Amino acid sequence: MAGFLQEIVEGLGAGAIYASLALALVLIYQFTGIVNFAQGELAMFSAYIAWQFMAAGLPFWLALVLTLAVSFVGGMLIERVVIRPVEGAPELTVVIVTVGLFIFVNAAAGWIWSFLIKDFPNPFPGGAIEAGGLSLGYSTLGIMAVVGVVMGLLYLLFQHTKVGLGMRAVASNPSSARLVGIRVGWTLALGWGLAATVGAVSGILVAPLLFLEPNMMGGVLIYAFAAATLGGFDSPVGAVVGGLVVGVAETLAGAYVGFIGSDLKVGVPLVIILFILLLRPQGLFGRAAVERA
Amino acid sequence: MSENAFLTVTDLRAGYGGARVLHGVSLAVGQGEICAILGPNGAGKTTLLRALSGMVRVRGDVRLDGADLSGRSPDTIARQGVAHVPEGRGTFMPLTVEENLRLGAFVRRDRRSLRGLRDLRGRRGGSAVDADLERVHTYFPVLKTRLKQVAGSLSGGEQQMLAIGRALMLRPRLLLLDEPSLGLAPMVTQELFRIVRAVNEEERTTVVVVEQNAHLALSIAQQAHVLESGRIVLSGSAEQIRADEQVAQSYLGYRV
Ligand SMILES: Nc1ncnc2c1ncn2[C@@H]1O[C@H](COP(=O)(O)OP(=O)(O)OP(=O)(O)O)[C@@H](O)[C@H]1O
Ligand SMILES: [Mg+2]
Repeated sequence: MAGFLQEIVEGLGAGAIYASLALALVLIYQFTGIVNFAQGELAMFSAYIAWQFMAAGLPFWLALVLTLAVSFVGGMLIERVVIRPVEGAPELTVVIVTVGLFIFVNAAAGWIWSFLIKDFPNPFPGGAIEAGGLSLGYSTLGIMAVVGVVMGLLYLLFQHTKVGLGMRAVASNPSSARLVGIRVGWTLALGWGLAATVGAVSGILVAPLLFLEPNMMGGVLIYAFAAATLGGFDSPVGAVVGGLVVGVAETLAGAYVGFIGSDLKVGVPLVIILFILLLRPQGLFGRAAVERA
Repeated sequence: MSENAFLTVTDLRAGYGGARVLHGVSLAVGQGEICAILGPNGAGKTTLLRALSGMVRVRGDVRLDGADLSGRSPDTIARQGVAHVPEGRGTFMPLTVEENLRLGAFVRRDRRSLRGLRDLRGRRGGSAVDADLERVHTYFPVLKTRLKQVAGSLSGGEQQMLAIGRALMLRPRLLLLDEPSLGLAPMVTQELFRIVRAVNEEERTTVVVVEQNAHLALSIAQQAHVLESGRIVLSGSAEQIRADEQVAQSYLGYRV
C-alpha cells in the first residue's frame, strides 16, 4: 500500500511539470485558438537563458526572475512578429508556422549552446520528508509548490485584475472586446507572453531532472498535450488536473502493468489522448465546441 | 442638416476587403437627438454602425463634436464616448452579468489607473463605475437580480438589456444600437425602446438606431434615413418619413 501511495506521489510530482507546460499551451489556445507546437521548445530555450545567467555568475533565484522577464517579452515579440502575419489564416498554415518555430528554436539552441548536455542546478535540496512510510522528496514538493503558486497567480490575474478581465473578454468574444475598447492585438501578445513565462517555469523545473539539452522538452510536450486534451484545451484548471492525472497514470502504468515497464510508459499519454478524443473530445473540463468568433 | 450637428458623417465609404458596401454616406445628427436608420437587408446598416465605431476601415469624414474619428481604432473611438451595441448583442457568454457590465466601462479613466483597477472588479464601493452600475440597475432592474449569473444563461431579451446596459456603462455621448428588436417579443421590444427613449431624455445621449421595425424606430426618433445598397435614398424628420407612406412602402418594402 505504501508502495502504491509512493508511486502516486511520484506521479503527482511528474504530473505537476506536465501541468505547467499544459497550462502554457492552454493559455495560448484560449486566446488565439492556436495549438502552439513550439511551446516545449520555447520552454527549453528559456531554461538555456537561465543557465546562461547562472553561468555568468548570477544566483539561481535572480536568474529565474530575469529569465521569466525575458521569456515574457520574447513571447510577446514572437506573437507580434511570427504569429500576427498568419492571424486569420487557415488552421493548417498556423500549425505549420508553429512547427517551423519548433524547428527553428531547437536549431537555434543547438547552434548557440551546442547539443552537448549541460548540468542544471536543482533549486531544491536533495533530501526527503519521511511521513507515514512515504518519502516526500523536497524536489517533488518544491515542484508542486511552484506549480501551485503559478496557478494561484494566474487565478488572481484572471479573476481579480482589469487586465485579466479584459483577457477573458477577448477569449470569449474578440469582436465585442474590441467594441468595448480592449486592444485585442495587444491582449493576444500578452497571452503569448504569459504562456512563454509559464512555459519557462516548466523548462526550469524540467532541466535539473533531465539535464539541459535542446531536445529535453520533446517528451514533456507529448505529456502536456495529453494533459491539455484530457482536461480540455480551453480550461486552465483542466490542464492542471489533466497534468496530474497523466503523471499518475504514467507512473502507475510503469510500475504495475508488467509489460509496460519504464520503456513503454511514454505510450501512456498517447493512449490517453486517443481515448479522450474518441469519448469526450472537449476534455473533462472543456466546453463542447462553440464557434469561435 | 444643422451646421453645428453633434455627429457629422461626410461621404463615408467602407467595405470588407475588396467589396465596398457604403458608397458615400452623409448625415448629421444633433446633440441629444435620436436618429433612425432604416432599410432592407443587406443595405449596409450594420456596416454603417461598424464604420462609426472603427470596426471597419473607412474613407471619408466622421466627426463627433468636432473631433475627427475616421480611421481611428475602436478603443480610441470608445474613449471618445461612442458605445456600440452590436447586432446579435455581443454578449460575453461565459462571463457573469456583472463582468459584462463592468467591461462596458473598460476604457473609462475616471480616476487613477490603480484605483480604477480595483473599481472594475468592484472591490471598493462608491466609485463612479459602481454608481453607474446602480444607474443601469434602475433602467434594467432585472439585471440586478442576475449579477452573479453567467451571461450565457440569460434569455434573449435579458441579453439585449445587458448589451444596452453594458453600453451605458461607458456613459456614452453617442449610442449606436443595431437592431435591438431582433428576435424579441413585441412586448419586450417596446419596453426596450421605452428605456432607450428614457436614457436619451434623462442623459441627453445622442442615439443612432438601426431597426427593421420602422414603426417603432420612428416613434422615438426625431429624424430618419433610409439606406439602400450603401446609399442614403431618403432622409427627413420622423414624421415626414412616417407620413410619406408611398415612399416608405417602395423603399422599406412594408407599411410603416
Ligand atoms: N464581414 C463581412 N465580410 C464581407 N462582406 C460583408 C461582411 N459583413 C457584411 N458584408 C456584406 O455587406 C453588405 C451589407 O451588410 P450589412 O450587414 O451592413 O447589411 P445590413 O443592412 O445590416 O443588413 P441586415 O438588415 O440583414 O442586418 C452585405 O452585402 C453583406 O453581404
Ligand atoms: Mg445588420
